[in-house]
Amino acid sequence: MAEPILRLSGLTKHFGGFTAVKQIDLDIEEGEFFTIVGPSGSGKSTLVRMLAGLEEPSGGEILLRGERINETPANRRPTCMVFQSLALFPHRTVGQNIEFPLKMRGVARKARRARAMGLLRLLQLPESYYGKSVTQCSGGERQRIALARALAFDPEILFFDEPLSAIDYKLRKTLEKELKDIHKETGKTFMYITHSLEEAMVMSDRIGVMRDGKLVQIGTPEEIYTRPRDKFVSEFMGEVNLLKVKRNGAGLHCPSLDATFTGPASKGFDSGYLVIRPEYLRFLKPGESAENQVEGVLYNEYALGSRIQYQVRVGEQVFLVEKLREQRYHGRLDDRVTIGWEARDSMLAPE
Amino acid sequence: MGGPGKSRGPGRMGGWIGAWTLLVIVFLYLPVACGVLASLSQSRYFGFPITQWSTRWWQRTVDSIEIGILIQTSVLIALMVTAVSVVLAFMGALAFARYDWRGRKIFQRIVLLPIFFPQAVLGLALLLWFNTLGLPLSWKTAVFAHLVWIVPIATLIISIQVYSFDAALEEAALDLGATRWQVLREVTLPVLGPGIFSGALFAFLLSWGNFPLSLYTTGADSTVPEYLYAKMVAGYTPGVPTLGALTTGGAAVILVVGYVSWIFMRRAQGR
Repeated sequence: MAEPILRLSGLTKHFGGFTAVKQIDLDIEEGEFFTIVGPSGSGKSTLVRMLAGLEEPSGGEILLRGERINETPANRRPTCMVFQSLALFPHRTVGQNIEFPLKMRGVARKARRARAMGLLRLLQLPESYYGKSVTQCSGGERQRIALARALAFDPEILFFDEPLSAIDYKLRKTLEKELKDIHKETGKTFMYITHSLEEAMVMSDRIGVMRDGKLVQIGTPEEIYTRPRDKFVSEFMGEVNLLKVKRNGAGLHCPSLDATFTGPASKGFDSGYLVIRPEYLRFLKPGESAENQVEGVLYNEYALGSRIQYQVRVGEQVFLVEKLREQRYHGRLDDRVTIGWEARDSMLAPE
Repeated sequence: MGGPGKSRGPGRMGGWIGAWTLLVIVFLYLPVACGVLASLSQSRYFGFPITQWSTRWWQRTVDSIEIGILIQTSVLIALMVTAVSVVLAFMGALAFARYDWRGRKIFQRIVLLPIFFPQAVLGLALLLWFNTLGLPLSWKTAVFAHLVWIVPIATLIISIQVYSFDAALEEAALDLGATRWQVLREVTLPVLGPGIFSGALFAFLLSWGNFPLSLYTTGADSTVPEYLYAKMVAGYTPGVPTLGALTTGGAAVILVVGYVSWIFMRRAQGR
């Protein structure tokens, strides 16, 4: 593998007595779309601010193409960030915003304008926006302008600090895909910060899940989705069924249901959680069976657009079952139902 | 009789609002109009109705060397106060509203205290202090006295703008390759511009119209408000309302010129 464009080793940041980022080791490959996911307060923003040069590390090293840049100030790093608030200059037009990094570098006006026009086209904004005030642009347009401005800088790495968090759902979905397309188009290294694993899944080549200042799992979206390292990661993925279990011979004993299940093969697992995604659970008709099955009451159902989600209660334990709308389960609420799943469709997560 | 028509309601309401607005304007501007009328009287004494009209006092006022010097002194003081207070208030406002530091809360309170101090007492206190220090009283000590009262006000005005300033703007500019100096010139100053401008305008006008602080601290020099007061107390002539109208008009012209030049500056900027 080639030398990573960015290498973090033991990167740490203290604020007074509080440690926001703890001993992060990470390699980012050239041209990669890497996303850091974590809940608020996990230190992901602090991490990216250190990488951009807006915060000085307390310990460890940041190496850009093998060169230590810990003390290099933000304006001398070949990296650029798209801020959460976007930080568009309100007193400037769209064109002036995009040209800002070029103007700072002393690029001639004509060349600046040509570059800005090219970026407007790339971001699918009309060229007439060049002279428009940024305060008159819509949320989605402002996102694109901020991205165009960052691209005008021509950075080696582009950082994104949750720029889509304030955008409504539908537009966000569009912009996520657009961003991935821009990544492909430009071939640059992107490093994205978000609290939404769903958002990370759509765009990323690799994802790092962050918690309490540490990276708890790094992997492709596929790996994170199918093999979450622990309960935290698997819950972060969205709604899952978690059963607290203990190894008992060949099976897994679940005290809350007083039942023993068969799980996937795993060495060294002693106690933790059995994770079953709602879409892997199915309703069993009389006469049908599955490797694992429980009986409960169909408590409620929720329409989630293309899918229907069912809540099944087995004693105190709540199970979520999801079916495509075409394969919906026809049953009356409060009826007794049997649900089941295959061992290979479940995962084990340590505490 | 007859139910109130649906369309008549808002119409009548609009009428009331119009009448009220007119009343407020009359209330605010009638005294000014009276002042102008009084300045156009031929007679030496103040009284309505005016029996004989004349522009004699306007002529005299404009020609008077004494009044020329008064205006010069007032303008000089106001300009000095504006220049110094804008610089101090800009930095103070950043400390006040932008940066978090130990003692900021106390600073926020202490810095505003002089505003609430009665000016007559503040003037006297400053006079005593200047005497203790052995400083000769002149327009220069008046500049200092004005600053004590005006810098906090200008700081407050600029702070309001600083509060709405997204700190990420400066970080973004830095991140996009701007030097510290470029960040200040290209982002901080232009974005805070309206606040700095209104702070400057207020500083100028408050200094221009200040009487109590000047009274104690100008020494042998005299400002326009001081002269007006002295003339009112002893030796009224229609020259008093004339000068009053003149300075009010002058202040209005400064406001308009300031505003227009501001608009032009904005337009030219960034080209």
